[in-house]
Amino acid sequence: MTKQKKYWKGLAELANDPAIENLKHNEFVEKIPVDDFLGDGETLSNTSTSRRDFLKFLGFSTAAATLAACETPVIKSIPYVIKPEEITPGVANWYASTFYDGNDFANVLVKTREGRPIFIKPNDLSSAAPNARVISSVLSLYDSNRLKGVMKNGESVSWSDADTDIKDRLSSIDGDVVVLTNTIISPTTKSLLNAFSKKYAAKHVQYDAISHQGMLDANKDSFGQRVLPSYHLDKADVLVSFGADFLGNWLNSSFEKQYIANRNPKSGKMSRHFQIETNMSLSGSNADVRIPVKPSEKLNLIENLYNALKGNAPANDKIKDIVSELSAAKGKSLVICDSNDKAVQIMVNAINDMLGNYGKTIDLTQPSLLRAGDDNAVAQLVQDMNDGKVGALIISGVNPSYTLANAEAFNEGLKKVSLTISTALSMDETSTNVEYVCPDRHYLESWGDAKATLNQVAFTQPTIQPLFDSRQFQESLMTWSGDDSDYYTYLKNYWRSKVSWSSSLHDGLVELSSDSLSVSSFSANVNSISSQANGLELALYQSNSIGDGSQSNNPWLQELPDPITRACWDNYLTISATTARENGLTNWNISDGALNGDMVRLTVGDRVIENVPVLIQPGQAIGTLGLALGYGRTAAGKVGNGVGVNAYSLAIDNNYTLSDVKIEKVEGEHGFASVQLHHTMMGRDLIKETTLAEYIADPKAGNPDLLFDTHKGKLFADEVSLWKEFDHETGHFWNLSIDLTSCIGCNACVVACHSENNVPVVGKEEVRKSRDMHWLRIDRYFSSDMTEEVAEEQGLGAVSKYKAMEVPSENPDVAFQPVMCQHCNHAPCETVCPVAATSHSAEGQNHMAYNRCVGTRYCANNCPYKVRRFNWFDYAENDAFDYNMNDDLGKMVLNPDVTVRVRGVMEKCSMCIQMIQKTKLDAKRDGRKVLDKDAQTACSIACPTNALVFGDVNDESSEVRTLKSDERKYFLLEAINTAPSVFYQTKIRNRKA
Amino acid sequence: MQKESPIREPLILGNKSYHDITVDVAKPVLAKANKMWWIVFGISLVLFVWWILSVGYTIGTGIGVWGLNKTVGWAWDITNFVWWVGIGHAGTLISAVLLLFRQKWRLSINRSAEAMTIFAVVQAAMFPLIHMGRPWLGYFVFPIPNNFGSLWVNFNSPLLWDVFAISTYFSVSFVFWYVGLIPDFAMIRDKVNEKYWPLRKKIYSILSFGWSGKAKDWQRFEEVSLVLAGLATPLVFSVHSIVSFDFATSVIPGWHTTIFPPYFVAGAVFSGFAMVQTLLLVMRKVVGLEAYITIKHVEYMNIVIMLTGNLVGIAYLTELFMAWYSGVEFEQYAFLNRATGPYWWAYWSMMTCNVISPQLMWFKKLRTNIVFTFILALFVNVGMWFERFVIIVTSLHRDYLPSSWTMFSPTFVDIGIFVGSIGFFFVLFLLYSRTFPVIAQAELKTIVKSSSEQYKK
Amino acid sequence: MSKKVIYGIFDDEEVLLKSVKEVRSKDISIKEVYSPFPIHGLDHALGLERTRLAIAAFIYGVIGCAVAILMTYYIMILDWPQNIGGKPSFAYYLNMPAFVPIIFEMTVLFSAHLMVITYLFKSKLFPGQESSSPDPRTTDDKFLMEIESDDEKKISDLLKKTGATEINVKDIA
Repeated sequence: MTKQKKYWKGLAELANDPAIENLKHNEFVEKIPVDDFLGDGETLSNTSTSRRDFLKFLGFSTAAATLAACETPVIKSIPYVIKPEEITPGVANWYASTFYDGNDFANVLVKTREGRPIFIKPNDLSSAAPNARVISSVLSLYDSNRLKGVMKNGESVSWSDADTDIKDRLSSIDGDVVVLTNTIISPTTKSLLNAFSKKYAAKHVQYDAISHQGMLDANKDSFGQRVLPSYHLDKADVLVSFGADFLGNWLNSSFEKQYIANRNPKSGKMSRHFQIETNMSLSGSNADVRIPVKPSEKLNLIENLYNALKGNAPANDKIKDIVSELSAAKGKSLVICDSNDKAVQIMVNAINDMLGNYGKTIDLTQPSLLRAGDDNAVAQLVQDMNDGKVGALIISGVNPSYTLANAEAFNEGLKKVSLTISTALSMDETSTNVEYVCPDRHYLESWGDAKATLNQVAFTQPTIQPLFDSRQFQESLMTWSGDDSDYYTYLKNYWRSKVSWSSSLHDGLVELSSDSLSVSSFSANVNSISSQANGLELALYQSNSIGDGSQSNNPWLQELPDPITRACWDNYLTISATTARENGLTNWNISDGALNGDMVRLTVGDRVIENVPVLIQPGQAIGTLGLALGYGRTAAGKVGNGVGVNAYSLAIDNNYTLSDVKIEKVEGEHGFASVQLHHTMMGRDLIKETTLAEYIADPKAGNPDLLFDTHKGKLFADEVSLWKEFDHETGHFWNLSIDLTSCIGCNACVVACHSENNVPVVGKEEVRKSRDMHWLRIDRYFSSDMTEEVAEEQGLGAVSKYKAMEVPSENPDVAFQPVMCQHCNHAPCETVCPVAATSHSAEGQNHMAYNRCVGTRYCANNCPYKVRRFNWFDYAENDAFDYNMNDDLGKMVLNPDVTVRVRGVMEKCSMCIQMIQKTKLDAKRDGRKVLDKDAQTACSIACPTNALVFGDVNDESSEVRTLKSDERKYFLLEAINTAPSVFYQTKIRNRKA
Repeated sequence: MQKESPIREPLILGNKSYHDITVDVAKPVLAKANKMWWIVFGISLVLFVWWILSVGYTIGTGIGVWGLNKTVGWAWDITNFVWWVGIGHAGTLISAVLLLFRQKWRLSINRSAEAMTIFAVVQAAMFPLIHMGRPWLGYFVFPIPNNFGSLWVNFNSPLLWDVFAISTYFSVSFVFWYVGLIPDFAMIRDKVNEKYWPLRKKIYSILSFGWSGKAKDWQRFEEVSLVLAGLATPLVFSVHSIVSFDFATSVIPGWHTTIFPPYFVAGAVFSGFAMVQTLLLVMRKVVGLEAYITIKHVEYMNIVIMLTGNLVGIAYLTELFMAWYSGVEFEQYAFLNRATGPYWWAYWSMMTCNVISPQLMWFKKLRTNIVFTFILALFVNVGMWFERFVIIVTSLHRDYLPSSWTMFSPTFVDIGIFVGSIGFFFVLFLLYSRTFPVIAQAELKTIVKSSSEQYKK
Repeated sequence: MSKKVIYGIFDDEEVLLKSVKEVRSKDISIKEVYSPFPIHGLDHALGLERTRLAIAAFIYGVIGCAVAILMTYYIMILDWPQNIGGKPSFAYYLNMPAFVPIIFEMTVLFSAHLMVITYLFKSKLFPGQESSSPDPRTTDDKFLMEIESDDEKKISDLLKKTGATEINVKDIA
């Protein structure tokens, strides 16, 4: 039997304390009313906390907990613009927006990752496609030189102090209040300006950095409306441009699409494009007939054309064809001119009127509203400022201290103005001369609307929280006019009534019930414009990359090679070989190949610019010079400062063609950063081309089959291959077709590639060492007078033949050829890599495994296309390369889907594999096939003329498949049988034999 | 006991007994270094330091400190590599091939030639390593899987063939050299007086692996030498053929040439002998071995130089002919550009040094003239360097697409690494000449009776 | 009567060779001959059978060749056949031409190194090994014949007769 052991809970129990006994029997000191609470339904329902309340509390606390968990950090890291639940980290969001900086206009889609805008692509709903500058604008958002807050005489102050001070002084100012802006195409901004003007009796002056006064006034005189017409190049079968570089920067209203629309050889019909110009421009290099002339001669030719068409005079030999073809194509032709002289534009209007082009290829009832600047008003303003008539000056969107020819006078005037305010984003030339700088926001941080034409409004919406303590110009206006609501509400209320707000915001633009402009028929007296200029003549132009210079501090643009000269990080006097010889000027290559040139002192009237480098440019009219505007910034920032010379100072009275120019050679030499040092094709058929007539006769014209003689007879390259081929029939097989006929060399693809693939900027010195890192380049070739045939006739030896072939013609044909990794299916680079860092995918891409690469550079040597790029140094986090990758702000533009390459590693075009993967995953998620055009590359997206077509050739429905079987298709260097996945389409010019 | 026809000129001058040979060979090792040696050594040491600094700078900063660019991805680095490998051929060739052909005159020079081979290959091997963008990942080229799975090396790549060829060549040459050294180390060991130099005694007895010259060991020794020679001979030819594959298997006009393997081998022998000539002419003076490295030896080597020089010359002409005959415009331009393009000077200095100057060797007077021989040997060395430069740079700088044509010019780092490698080489060679038996005395003793002057009287 | 080691030292290899034949004809076994350089015919005279190192080398070569083939096969074809420059990696024979250099080099590598290792091993040559030569002059210009016998007189006379310039005798304790 077991003994029951007894444990005492304490001495008290041992002593049998009654209290303990008590406790033992009722454990709880107070009785808990469990039963009478739950037991009896009535009391339960009467209790203050009902079941519903309880659930409410539960719900609240859960919600509170959740919010507390995610609130602050999330909002900080991802500044949502639209419904947060749409955002998944790692998945990009796209927002429709609109770019307008007074020069370029484009409807764009902005790609944001985790709240950071990183890429800009065209908005397919619109024809206004972004050019290289607009695509690069995403980097300007992260410009470390942007102002972090309000500045007063260089001291930073708070917005509230600034506003109170500004408001007081505005209301008590003597002298006029003037608002100086770029052309305003935003209806809301206009009305805000009106409100502001009412309050302070302010004047509003609009100013275009690049003036179009002549054209505007000409149209006022001719048709009673001071507007720019909109053109329909797609309807023009004969297109005659007197210097207007419409494919480049003329009017900046993306004519590429229209132009190419009427130049499709498949349709058997191409427009005839004549270009009569001074500098070799993008348009000129694409023209079917290009006539280099001095600016003065150009005017004479216009007048001659006018008279010839009237029948008053015989046509000048140079333009005989033009006259005949124009008169043959009445109503289906177009004559344009870049002159900023009213008389000239009136005559051009008259010519178009004679040809009956108005209402057909030219439309004044739906004008382009992108330019409305009034130079006289600006001149008057400068006058008034110096006379002390101006009490307050608010400058927005323009940089007159830099862009005005008489900037000195303007700056003097500023001193006499008691209150000067600039809303520049950074301390630019103007801001440094004003009292207050109230930084505006970058368009990617802003709300806005834009009315480029009467029948359409486009919207700008923020894609990121403001990076700095800045405020939109519009909001500043509101504050200063005493309206304390915010601009967003204002904008919304303004448009809500007129358009469906959210849908148009989603699309980025919306058609308006078309109100059109009423114009009188042509009525203006046409005066003679014939001119006799002596000495050298200078034609100022906008460079393809820098444009008007507002984005000079953008390293992508600075390193973007000019499509014609292929030089970057510079502006220079372009000069013809002959004129150079006459003036004893030369260009030469130094031992490492880099291009050097002489420098001159440039004198125009009383303006002198020292040490202007001279670049010999084939196609430049003899006796003329060209110089790009937009360079020579002094307060652009660390990147843009001191790059090139400022040509605005020469454009006196906004005259962009100047005569009697003097150049004298000065000591020293200048180093150019040119990415292409050799300009001709050396008689190799790298770019196959033919004329329209020949193409119609034989679609394979200029592109004969490449056959190899074998014992089995003539065979194609792929048939004589020694190897058993890998299967590329099953699954995807990504190919890229590049149509050389519709490639106009606009550089949009290059910048898009740069931005999508985190391509580093290496700076001028490295580019000079032939170490530019562009994954995609656009080779530009000039024709040479020496060809195999000529050599044959003259019986030249090979040596002298090739020597002669290196020299481009005086007025050469120009051809562009985008070259990126060709993704060869017999890739020479893959075979030679000792560590298998580069190998081929089943989908036809040539892969590059960066972290496997040891950097022997053997692949680059063995690449016949020389598209591989080596990281000679660390380009990120390296003070020697202080561009966007060296500061935290600039790094925000990096694409998280693409590795930033380290030093010692080979890199190259990946066919945007990250985009392809995304497309495939999306298709997989939706359980569908990948559709044609789903998968795109940065370059094919950016191409405004659809010259680059990307897709899966194993997909029957794909466009690229049809293009691959096109008669014009050819492989670059087909003879070495690298079997590329990239192929080209023969270039076709509409040229009379 | 083999006999040799009395018509043949003696390979050993003076009345050298076995003992004399022992003494002569041991002398440079046991005696103090003369002033001359210290001067040359000092200069080489300075250059070597320059090499170290340049290499350090390159690895620290990036390949960008060289003159290379997007079009010319190899220049002086690989030029030097091929140049040194070429030089590194004579040694093994002299010992192996001449051994197979029972050429007794090899015996006085093969030891130093092999030493030179090994030091040259050391220099050569440096370049593929430091020319990498990320040399610290150099081990990627060995057949080991990567950390994440089965990403191996690529055996299709000529550069990987190089890795195997060079490492095999280096190690086999080294072994061949050392096997021959063992008996001679033993000789030195027995010459060193333990009382004065206990340490040296120790070192040499370690180096000599306890060799004692037993009959059986000698039998094995000869067998091993013979077999190694048999293996090394095809190896020599294979190595430079494989080096030439780096170019021959590519698609670049001027590289893509089927005659490269024999052409490179001839070139290698050519430059190798020239370098041996350069070194021995100095060494026979500096360490006084005129009796063993006779005019006869010099003349024999000159004949080889002339012969291979002409082979190389024929190769050059064949290239030009093939370019013309192929009818391929790229090919034709590549060779026209070599001769008349921006690098014409390199091409013509190559032609002068490698093809024209060796023709002077037809004259016995000249080929038996020490001074002239020395100068000509230097010429050939320069010429062969230019040959590699021409092949590599002028082919790359203007290849298929004129848009990417450019030029190359070296930076001071390029120069530093090249000149420095020469310094490095001489540092090694001079140390060798003071511490190693520079003549295969054991084997040389076997021919005293057959081909030394006294017995031919 | 105790066993002795007799060292006959010669100045000339030809004399030595004769004497070796002489001694052997009297069927006295020669323990060892030490010489500063290889003497042709000595191994026959001493009746040493020819070495089989060459055969070993051949076998090693075959092994190296096999290793190379297996390595390239496993790495390029079996483990991860990639599409490298379109070169067919479907079957070994298709890709093999690219591996010939590797196979050759590996063959030589194995053959040479393993043979030398065998040689050093067989001849007991390795760092730290002491020389077993009874007289250091044998690496200079002397030739030494070593005979073990208990009839010292007879041997030394014979050696003298056949041209030994010096005779040393040592007891084996």
